[in-house]
Amino acid sequence: MVINNIAENTKKLGAKQTRGETRMNIIACYKIVPDEKDIQVRSDRSISIDKAEWVIGQYDLNAVEAAMQIYEAVGGKVTALSVGDRQLENSKLKKGVLSRGPQELFLVIDEALSGADTNLTARALAAAARKIGFDLIICGEGSQDLYSQQVGIQLGQILNVPTLNAVSRIVAENGKLIVERSLEDEVEVLEVSLPAVISVTTDINQPRIASMKDILAAGKKPVTQWSLADVGLNDANRRTEILYTLAPEQAERKRIILEGESEEVLDKFYELLRKAI
Amino acid sequence: MSSEIKVWIIAEKPQGTAELIAGAKNFTDNVTALVIGPQERAEQAVRLGAGKVYWLGEAGPGMMWEDYTDTILSLLQQENPALMLVHATKRGKLLAGRLAANLGTTVLTDVMELTWEVDRFKATRRVYGGSAVRQERALTGTTIATVGSGVFTPLPEEAGRTGTIIEVPFVEPKIRIKLVEKKKRETVSVNLPAAKRIVCVGRGLARQEDLGLVEELARLLEAEMACTRPIAEGLNWMPRERYIGVSGAMVKPDLYLALGVSGQIQHMVGANQSRTIAAVNTDKAAPIFNQADYGIVGDLKKIVPALIARFKAE
Repeated sequence: MVINNIAENTKKLGAKQTRGETRMNIIACYKIVPDEKDIQVRSDRSISIDKAEWVIGQYDLNAVEAAMQIYEAVGGKVTALSVGDRQLENSKLKKGVLSRGPQELFLVIDEALSGADTNLTARALAAAARKIGFDLIICGEGSQDLYSQQVGIQLGQILNVPTLNAVSRIVAENGKLIVERSLEDEVEVLEVSLPAVISVTTDINQPRIASMKDILAAGKKPVTQWSLADVGLNDANRRTEILYTLAPEQAERKRIILEGESEEVLDKFYELLRKAI
Repeated sequence: MSSEIKVWIIAEKPQGTAELIAGAKNFTDNVTALVIGPQERAEQAVRLGAGKVYWLGEAGPGMMWEDYTDTILSLLQQENPALMLVHATKRGKLLAGRLAANLGTTVLTDVMELTWEVDRFKATRRVYGGSAVRQERALTGTTIATVGSGVFTPLPEEAGRTGTIIEVPFVEPKIRIKLVEKKKRETVSVNLPAAKRIVCVGRGLARQEDLGLVEELARLLEAEMACTRPIAEGLNWMPRERYIGVSGAMVKPDLYLALGVSGQIQHMVGANQSRTIAAVNTDKAAPIFNQADYGIVGDLKKIVPALIARFKAE
């Protein structure tokens, strides 16, 4: 693992702050995932995602939107970033993320990243982010498929910068952030120096819907594709091994389904409920 | 059981500490609890079964719980326990992720079941929004795992248990985030996992005003009100504490009555342990009907008042 020198990082990544500039270079991270509606269960309870449509993780759209709102408030630039396998080459998905506002897209595509664990994902993102340069990285609360809620946290620590999860409000002022963090029974108000990595909650904002014009414009925005070697990550080893992935065993249900709103139907349904309580 | 394996635990709240100590004792007698808080909590951890307690002291004003990350990291690096269990609160997740990144490992998250085989921990968790269960094992030295409430049942406190309490000096964090203010959150105290009856509303409820009708039915049934995620997050018609699903509450009532709930897997994974599932939905093809014991294809605005009238007439 690469151990960073914090002073060096701060100098390299957060140079803008020392000049008192408020504009920010923001990276919004996202993951593409198989739509769980399309997951097929085989008779042995194993699952297949071969026929699944790939989509942008819905919680990551909040990260993109949060980045756009900061950019619209203080200026600078929003760059989208994702790491994964060749599914990322899908042009509809590239346009999908760019149509929501980011000016540029970077992808790290490598078969070694297929089904990566949170550690490898965070290391790949860190390597790419260092190459791009940033003041702030925003991640979603968790990926839609695995929802480990870990990548943003580990990414921040690997980059050796302040990192927070559960952030439900961000205000950028004077080259730093004032954030609210929604915990189980309290809200923390925190002052975060930059550079930093922030993971946002699903209710921090309502992600914008792209218009046809946005989608057309997205096709003209620059996209840079790197391999792991391009970002200088040589160790693509996993820290975990997947032993199995199986559909849960289903409880047998009676499936007595009535139709309509007639008195007889309602009487019958009422009787069934009565027996159940 | 073995006294060879070292298992460490940490939780924000006493209940979490109690659960994780009980979980750790499934594998070893060699349980170490890390405690942040008053000394009484360290003593309580011994009574709950921890043989050793690292007492990190009490967080002073202006300090974040996570400011102890570097202190905990240096302990981990000195002693390399086989397993570090972290209670899966938001703070716990941040701590676990930062420790893992520093140790060059990953985190096994939201573990439902943990087993020890030969020389490794294996953990199961839900993936794909609850569509599947995955078992994984960590390949690195110390396995870090987050475990939510309810996975392990606490052992009763026993005054006769003995253990060593070691006070640990604070290691100044390399990275500090300034705490400006803490605000008490308006939380709703509701214990859905303990509810015997639940009436749950989904997007099929057209208007917020119609909630009143559903509340009346819930009162008559002596049921707790619950909802799907979009009702709580997005529409904000009900508090977040009341949503059921893979990222919300996991329930197992005698009766789960779903009104206008489509039955998506992310939601149903939280409800499918219910003894009886009943559903009302206008869409005959809604997936909920494949997972229900009883159902009506119809308009809940007509069906709910009819049910209210019948329960009232009892």
